[in-house]
Amino acid sequence: MGAKGYIMQVQPFSVNDGDGIRSTIFMAGCPLRCRWCSNPEGFTATPKTGWYERKCIGCGACAEACPQGIGINLNAERERCIACGKCAGVCPADARARLVTLTDADDVLKEIQKHRLFYSYSGGGITFSGGEATSQTEFLDCMSREIYDMGYSMDIETCGMFDWNRVSHILARMDLIFMDLKIFDSEKHKEYTGVSNERILENIANLAVFGQQDTDIFEIADAEGRTGNDGHGPEIVIRIPVIGGVNDDDENIRASAEYVHRHLPHARMELLPYHRYGQIKYEALGVPYDHPEFRTPDKAEMERLRDIVRSEGVEIADFR
Amino acid sequence: MPITPRVEKIRQNYVNTKPHISYERAWSYTRSFQRTEGQPHILRVAQAFNDTCHELSVNIWEGELIVGTSGEYRKCAILTPEFGWLWINDEIDTFPERGQDPYDVTPEQTEFIRKNIFPYWKGKSIEEAFLARTSEATKKIGVDTGFLDTDSKWRNGIGEISADYIDVLLPKGYGGIKAEAEAYMAELDEAIPAEKEKINFYKSMVLIADAMITLGRRYSAKAAEMAAEETDPVRKKELEEIADVCSRIPEQPPKSFREAVQFVWFVQLGGIIAENPLAWNPGRFDQYMYPYYKADKEAGLIDYDAALELVECLWLKYSEWAWTISKNTASFFAGYTNFENLTVGGTKVDGSDATNEVSFMAIQATRECMTHQPTLSCRIHPDCPPEFMEAVTELVSTGCGFPAIHGDRTGYQMLSNLGYEPKDARDWNNCGCVVPHSRKTFEWTSAASISFAAALEFALNRGCSRLSGEQVSLPEKDPKTFESMDEILEAWKKQFRYLVRHGVISLCTAQQIHKEIGHRPFMSACNEYCMKNGKDLVDGGAKYNIGPVFTGVGLSVTANSLAVIQKLVFEEKKCTLADIIDAIDNNWEGYEDLRELALACPKYGNDIDYVDSIARDLADFFYDEVTKYDDIYGNHFVTAFMGISNYLPTGKVLGATPEGRHAKDPINEGVSPYTGSDKSTCLAALRSAAKVKHDIHSGGTLLNLRLNHDLVATKRGRANLGAMLQSYFALGGFHVQFNTISNEVLRDAQAHPEKYRSLLVRVAGYSAQFTNLSKEMQDSIMARNAHTEF
Repeated sequence: MGAKGYIMQVQPFSVNDGDGIRSTIFMAGCPLRCRWCSNPEGFTATPKTGWYERKCIGCGACAEACPQGIGINLNAERERCIACGKCAGVCPADARARLVTLTDADDVLKEIQKHRLFYSYSGGGITFSGGEATSQTEFLDCMSREIYDMGYSMDIETCGMFDWNRVSHILARMDLIFMDLKIFDSEKHKEYTGVSNERILENIANLAVFGQQDTDIFEIADAEGRTGNDGHGPEIVIRIPVIGGVNDDDENIRASAEYVHRHLPHARMELLPYHRYGQIKYEALGVPYDHPEFRTPDKAEMERLRDIVRSEGVEIADFR
Repeated sequence: MPITPRVEKIRQNYVNTKPHISYERAWSYTRSFQRTEGQPHILRVAQAFNDTCHELSVNIWEGELIVGTSGEYRKCAILTPEFGWLWINDEIDTFPERGQDPYDVTPEQTEFIRKNIFPYWKGKSIEEAFLARTSEATKKIGVDTGFLDTDSKWRNGIGEISADYIDVLLPKGYGGIKAEAEAYMAELDEAIPAEKEKINFYKSMVLIADAMITLGRRYSAKAAEMAAEETDPVRKKELEEIADVCSRIPEQPPKSFREAVQFVWFVQLGGIIAENPLAWNPGRFDQYMYPYYKADKEAGLIDYDAALELVECLWLKYSEWAWTISKNTASFFAGYTNFENLTVGGTKVDGSDATNEVSFMAIQATRECMTHQPTLSCRIHPDCPPEFMEAVTELVSTGCGFPAIHGDRTGYQMLSNLGYEPKDARDWNNCGCVVPHSRKTFEWTSAASISFAAALEFALNRGCSRLSGEQVSLPEKDPKTFESMDEILEAWKKQFRYLVRHGVISLCTAQQIHKEIGHRPFMSACNEYCMKNGKDLVDGGAKYNIGPVFTGVGLSVTANSLAVIQKLVFEEKKCTLADIIDAIDNNWEGYEDLRELALACPKYGNDIDYVDSIARDLADFFYDEVTKYDDIYGNHFVTAFMGISNYLPTGKVLGATPEGRHAKDPINEGVSPYTGSDKSTCLAALRSAAKVKHDIHSGGTLLNLRLNHDLVATKRGRANLGAMLQSYFALGGFHVQFNTISNEVLRDAQAHPEKYRSLLVRVAGYSAQFTNLSKEMQDSIMARNAHTEF
């Protein structure tokens, strides 16, 4: 079909982003700039190559292969990098890696189909993630249509920052939507993510169309009536990435849960503790990441916050 | 923790005691053989067994409910000099101190054995006969080489039998077996030579049955004697029960679950005394035990916990017997592992689900006792009940490595391909480690270990060992002058054919010797068709006589090496073949850059057809080459990729290999990817492994994979593991076993990341390679794991 999109990675064997064994398609480009983001390569929908200094054996094969004449230390000369990926192709130590590539939808589909047996035995499928999957709307539309027709389960992880009218028919195809509500207070949201949260809150409220008996989901669906969950429309999980020192206060959690419950009485919520696992990618891109102020909440703290959510009448989802 | 403090106490003793060598059995056999010179061999063996059952120490140890030991020690290791004693003589002084599988033995015992036992066997053992009949050329390539090894078939007892509890042992008891043998005998005429031979066979059956009956009665008498002296009323009652059970068992068919457990152990003990066997398999335990459990439970005589305690007592009996083996064999079968393979789950012959409460009991006993025996195997069929799958994956999550998990249908297909009738193929049980097997069968399931990587070494080194420089195989031209991939493949095939040929020669020699002086009346008594045919196993008495199995070792190393040559030398021309030869001649020293290039080439285990197809082709060639030979019974030889721990000793004798492996490093077992080279996901590793045609390798295939404990720590994670298993079996895979990872390993991975590239850990919402994480993250994952360590 010829569509192309900017793909960070197609990760097989994802087991925490929905039910069963899934392949997660990470799509580059995101309207938010969360300071704690663990996938910095997904900020923009542009090809990128990374350099893992810790794995580098200093053989110089990358420099020899580079049409731009960039040396081993890619990050010192990154502005000249055209992300052709030639260096990643020759690196014997996997120290050079293509972090974002312009990829044919057909190639993505071929890749995910490899694991079809694993999806069917586990009740798994495909999860769209990012970056922000909705930011490549056309590509997402095309791929989700194809995958829907293959009969695989589809979930999506989204930050909620999108144009509802352009995206809602895509969301209707999903079995499960994970939408983030990072910080309830808009000012603070803007401070930490670069954007205010009105649109996000609005889109959370918009999701109500999927949970209500009397709404005709086929009004939202595409012309062929592609709808998730056998026509019942997607389930909803609102996620809070809990960043110690930023949004882990009781008020934020309570206000978020209250908002979710008010607009989406059937939705569940999932609270995920902050982690630093993306740090190595900042190194690979030569981007500083220095946030000692962010804490990882401990188990007890997470459980206490989940109790607040429960006390607002919202069920906790758990995909661990 | 075991179900009761009694079992825990037995378990503590098992964990904390080193096995002790007992020569009682060897001494009884020796004296018996001295008395029976000149008689038919089968009768001499049966008489020796009978004498031993009259003479062996009878001990009932503290707390035991299930009784019977192969000598005077609770953790006992026995000697079988009739198979081989040279190696024992060479090694016995080092038994207590050796690194792998040590045994205690006192200097007085050693002196006694050297003075009274070995001299009689000089020139009489199977080992000596084999060495006397084997040419220098065969010895050079196939005796203690690590290139080709067959010594488990001429130095030790054979084993590799699954007792037929269903059609023979449990319904008949040894009283019934004796009566049947006598009835057959009454119809035969001594004046007809063929019938005379059968008479000898049936006489041996009577001797065996009498011996087993005697053994039971001696335990009954001992228990009664101890009960009379016992002051603790609880223990007194237990001893009285033991005396009661053993007064009938194993002479009569068991009437209760408890009697059946004791019966099964006596049979196992008999096999141990007879052969000190490898892979003496209890078989489908849940199938033959469930009727007893069900009847007792319905009659209100037993509940689940009481039955479980008996099963756990049995598990400890299986484990207290230690297999006595040479240092070399111990490096192949490390960990006192005698492979008493016990199978649960799967389908019944009628195709319906076979799992029952005893299946769950077996899994629970293994989880609670954490004994190394029995070797627990599970058959998983496509409609496996979720509760059973959960029990299986939950056991995996303990990190104990059990159970071995098998695809029900592939096992069936493997036996069908050997010509089994459907009803027997459907009833398969596991033998040893991963061999689909049947209680109707005679087969040397672990006959030869053949190294794919050695053939490559010879092809690329003029037929010489790279480490010793010695010419051990067929001459070959200067490796630097090979001009094409085809030429190299042809050279590999030529060397591999030579290895196969000498394996065949060795095994046919060993078979002939066993036919002469390797009679197996005890094992034959456990086999329905031996009784019907009036023939010992070694005379082809079983229903299915299957040819000896060649186990291929080093498949992935060899495929990876050929892929490197194909890619770097002939396709990309990044180096010459001479460069690679020089590099491996120098164990990669001074060729580090070339090694990096070699390591970066496609590796088996990542779902890359480029290299996986080479592995599949090598495996196909292996099948074609081996199966074209027939053994002395006229049966085709059989192939397997089953492994065991043979990837260590077979690696030790090899120089460096083109895919980047250093000299003496391990190669790989079964169809497993080379350690650290399956850098993608376990899904990719499973897909690679499934490309090998499992069902044609009827001797079994083995796949070992590592999993981080975190992946199976939750019920949901275990359900996903279950789905992975079903997917692998749907792809045609046969067996997979998982190692979940301890922090000890993670620490080693932190220090030596190059060895652990494939190590997958659950991170946050996804899984990642451990080595791709920063030190800080690695530490945090270990901290997270610490509380989940078993």
